[in-house]
Amino acid sequence: MTVTVLVLGPIIIGLILYALPKGAGGLARGIGVAVAALTFLLIAIKPDAPDASLPWLARPFTAAFHLGYGPISYWIVLMLAAVTFGGLVALRIPREREFTAQMLVLQGAMTGVFLAKDVLLFALFWDLMLIPVFLLMLGWGMPARGARSHGTAAWRYLIYNVAGGLTLLLATAAFGVVNGSTDVIGAHAAPITIGYLWGPWIFAGFAFAFLIKTPVWPLHTWMPDTYAELPPPVVAAVSAVQSKAGLYGFIVIGLPFLNEQMRAAAPLMFVLGLIALLYGAFIAFTEDDAKRVLAYSSLSHLGLILIAIFSFNPIALAGAAVYIIAHGLFSASGFLTLGFIEEREETRSLAHLGGLAADNPRLSGALTITALAALGLPGLAGFAGEILILTGVYAAGFWWAALIALIPIVIAAGYMLRLFQTIMHGPKRADLPERHDLTWLEGFALVPLVLGLVLLGVNPHAVASFAVDDTNGGHVVAGTR
Amino acid sequence: MPALASFATPADVNALLPASIVALTALVALFFDLLVPAATRRALAVAVAAIGLVAAGIVLAMQYGHPYAAFGGAFFLGGFSVVFSEIIIIATLATLTLGLGVGRDDQVAGSTALILWSASGAMLMTGAGNLMMVFLGLELLSLGLYCLCAVSVRSTAREAALKYLILSSMASGFLLFGMALLFGASGSVALSALAVTKPSLLLLLGSGLFFVGIAFKLSLVPFHVWTPDVYEGAPLAVTAFMSVVTKAGALAVLGRFAYAALPPDSATAILVPVWAVAALSMLVGNLAALSQTDMKRLLAYSGIAQVGYIVAAFAGQTAIGVRYAIFYLAAYTFMNLGAFAVVALMSRDADAVVGVGRFAGLAYRRPWLAALMTFFLLGLAGLPPTAGFTGKVLILASTVGAGYAWLGGVLILGTAISIYVYFKIVRAMFARVDEAHVRDERSANPLPWITVAVCAAAVFVLGLFPLTPSNVLPLVH
Repeated sequence: MTVTVLVLGPIIIGLILYALPKGAGGLARGIGVAVAALTFLLIAIKPDAPDASLPWLARPFTAAFHLGYGPISYWIVLMLAAVTFGGLVALRIPREREFTAQMLVLQGAMTGVFLAKDVLLFALFWDLMLIPVFLLMLGWGMPARGARSHGTAAWRYLIYNVAGGLTLLLATAAFGVVNGSTDVIGAHAAPITIGYLWGPWIFAGFAFAFLIKTPVWPLHTWMPDTYAELPPPVVAAVSAVQSKAGLYGFIVIGLPFLNEQMRAAAPLMFVLGLIALLYGAFIAFTEDDAKRVLAYSSLSHLGLILIAIFSFNPIALAGAAVYIIAHGLFSASGFLTLGFIEEREETRSLAHLGGLAADNPRLSGALTITALAALGLPGLAGFAGEILILTGVYAAGFWWAALIALIPIVIAAGYMLRLFQTIMHGPKRADLPERHDLTWLEGFALVPLVLGLVLLGVNPHAVASFAVDDTNGGHVVAGTR
Repeated sequence: MPALASFATPADVNALLPASIVALTALVALFFDLLVPAATRRALAVAVAAIGLVAAGIVLAMQYGHPYAAFGGAFFLGGFSVVFSEIIIIATLATLTLGLGVGRDDQVAGSTALILWSASGAMLMTGAGNLMMVFLGLELLSLGLYCLCAVSVRSTAREAALKYLILSSMASGFLLFGMALLFGASGSVALSALAVTKPSLLLLLGSGLFFVGIAFKLSLVPFHVWTPDVYEGAPLAVTAFMSVVTKAGALAVLGRFAYAALPPDSATAILVPVWAVAALSMLVGNLAALSQTDMKRLLAYSGIAQVGYIVAAFAGQTAIGVRYAIFYLAAYTFMNLGAFAVVALMSRDADAVVGVGRFAGLAYRRPWLAALMTFFLLGLAGLPPTAGFTGKVLILASTVGAGYAWLGGVLILGTAISIYVYFKIVRAMFARVDEAHVRDERSANPLPWITVAVCAAAVFVLGLFPLTPSNVLPLVH
C-alpha cells in the first residue's frame, strides 16, 4: 500500500492540481511541497513497507503491477523526494500551478521506475517519466543568453529518449516471451539465463536504452542542451534521479538476468565509460555556461559508475550504489544553487559572473559544499563512492582502468574550483545587480541535500551494505535499508 | 448442402439480426424525416440512429458466446464477428456525435441512413463465411461511403468522392478476379472448402489478387495513395468513420483468411507478402505523416501505419496474434476516434479544415482539451499509460514469439518515427505562443465531449486491463 501511494499519490495529486483555479498558483505550490515532504517522511519512517502487486498480463507472458523497495532503489526514491522538495520550495517559477502539477507527475513516474519490480512496469514508467520533462522544457525552458526556447532541446531530448524507450520495450517483450514472466526484478528465485540465440539482442535493446538515458558518449548529445535549458528544479530531478535509471537498470536487470552478455560487452562499456569520464571532464573545464559545466561533469561522473558496474566486483558495485546517491545529492544541490544565482544575477555565464562571495556568504557556502562534494573531498559522499569504486575496479584486476579514472578525478577538482572561483571570488562586477543573500527558504531547500552529503560521506555503509549473490552473477539480493 | 427449406431457420435470421437492425434503423430515420419540421430533423435522425445502434449493440452482446454457422456457412456468428461488430457499432455511434450527423439539416437523415447501411455492410464482412458474403458486405460498405464523401459544400469533397469511387472500384475488380481464381482453385465459394485446397498456382494467384483488394480497403502501402486525399476531402465525421469502420471490416476478412481460411500448409508462404506490406505501411505511413500539416491528412497517414501494426499481429497465424490484433484494433478505435472528436471540438463548422497550427498554445487556452488530446496522441504513439502501450507490447510479444522478430523491429522503427509525428502536435499545444495569432474556434455541438470522455476512459482502462478473451478466434467450419 505504502509503495503504491508513493507512486500514484504524486501523479494523481499532480493531475488534480489542474482543477485548481488559475490564480491559485501559491496554493498549488504549497500542496506540491507538502506532497514531496510527505513522501519523504513516508519513505523514511516505513523502510520495510511490503511490496504491492496486482496481476496485469497473463499472456503471452505474466506481468504484474508489482512495486516494492529494493536495496538501492529505496535510497534513490528517498533522494528523489528530497530533490523534488528542494526544487519546489524556493525558486521563483512562472505559472506555478501547471509547473507544480508536472513536477509531481514527474516525481511519481520516476518513483515508479525505481520501485517497479516488473520489467514491463519498469518500461512503462520509463516512457512515462519522459513526458513531463518534455512538457516542462517546452513550457519553462530557459536557454542561455535570455533567448526564448524554441523547443529544439526538448525535441532532441524526446527523440533520443523515446528511441531508447522503444528498444527497451522491444527487449522487454522479447525477454517476457523467452522467460515467460517479467515479474522478476529483485526476485530471489532460481537464476534465469537467456540463451545465446536471444540474449545478445535482448541485451542490446536494454543497453541502448540505458546508455542513452545515463547518458554515455557517444549517445550523450541530447544531454548538455537539455540540462542547460531545463529550469533548475527539473534539471535537479533529471540529473539526480532520471539519469540513474539506466545505471539502475544495468544493476537490477542486466547483472542478474543477462550476466553473460554483460560480461561480453564489458570491454566496450569500459571504453565508453572511460571516454565519457575523460571527455566530460575536459569539456567541463572549458564551458562558459555554468549549467553546462555541471552537465558535462555529470557525463564524467556517470561514466565512472558505468565502469564500476561492468567490473563485476561487489566492492565496486557497492561504490556504484553510493556514488549514484552521492552524485544525485551534489548535482541536485549544484543545479539548485546555480538556479538561485541565475535568479539573482540574471545570467549563468561564467564570463559575466564574479565576486559574489563578498556580499553573499551563505550562497557562497552552499556552492562550496556542492563543489567540494563533487570533486571528491574526503568526508563527503562523493569521496566515499569514488574510493569504493576505484578500490573495486582495481581489485577486479582492471588496474589500468582505475589508473585512467584517476585523471578525471583530478580534473574534477580543477573544473569545480574554477566554477566556484569564477562565480564567487575575484573583483566585484559592477554590471551585476546587487541582490540579497540566500534566504532562509532557499537554504531550507538545500538542507536535506547537504545533510545527505555529509551523512552519506561519514556513513556510506547505510547505502552500500547490500549483499551480492555471486552464484547468480552479481544479483543484488538483500540489504539493510 | 442443406435443403432449401431449412436454409433460413429462425437461428439463421437471428444471426443476422444486429446487422438487420442497423440497416432497418436507416429506413426508420428516413421515414421520420418526412414527418417532422425542419428544425428537429437533425436531432431526430441522430437520435433514431443512436437508439438503433444501441439496440443492435445489445442484441449483438447477447449473441456473444453462442457460435453458429448461419445460412449454411455463409455467415459465422461467433466471438470474432461479435467483437468486430461491436467495434463497428461504437465507431458509428461516435461518428454521429462528431458533427451531429453529416451535411446540412436537410441532408442529415439521408447521410445518417447511408452511414448505417455502410456500417451494416461492415458488420456482414466480420462474419462472412464465403466469398460472396465478403463481396456483398464490402460493396454495401463502399457504396454508402462514395456518397458520404460528397456530402459537403467544398469542391474537394466531390473530388474525394470521385477518386474514392474510381480507385475503390478498381480494387473491387482485383478482389473479384481473385475470388474467381479462388473459386477455380477450390471449386466452391465457401471458405471452409478453401481451407482444404491443395496448393496450386490458381490458389496463389487468387489469394494474391484477393489480398490486393483487401490491402486497398485497409490502405496498406503501396495501395494507400487514395487515403490522404479522400480523408482530407470528406467531411470530418465521414473521415472518422472510414478510419475505423472500413478498416475493421477489412481486417476481419483478412484475419479470417490468414488464420482459418487458407490451407495451413501453404498459408505461411502465401502470406509473406502481406507481412512485407504491413512492414512497409508502418514505415511509409509514419514517414509520410511527418510532413503533413492538415490534421485529417496526418491522421490518414497515421492510420496507414496503425493498420500496419495490427496486420503485423496476424503474422505467424497464431491464436494469440489474432487476439492481440483485435485488442489493438479496439485500442486504435478509441484513440483515433478520441483524436477526431478533439478536432471536431476545435472547429465551429463540422466540415472545417483544421491544420496542425490551430493547436498552437492550446494547453493554455483549453487545458482539458489539450490534456485529453495529448493522452490520445500518447496512445497512438504507443506510450503509457494507454491501451496503445499495452497493445504494442502484446503485438511485439506475439510477433517475436511467432518467429517474426524482424517485423517487431520494423514496428519499433516505425513507432520511433511516429513519435515525431504525434509530438509535433503535443509540442504545438504546449509551446508558448502569441495569443493574437491564434484562431480559437469552438464547436457549438457539445456531443463530441462525450465521445472524448468515453474514449479517454476506454483507452486508460484497456491499458490497465488488457481484455484478450480466448473465444474470439475466426472460424470457417
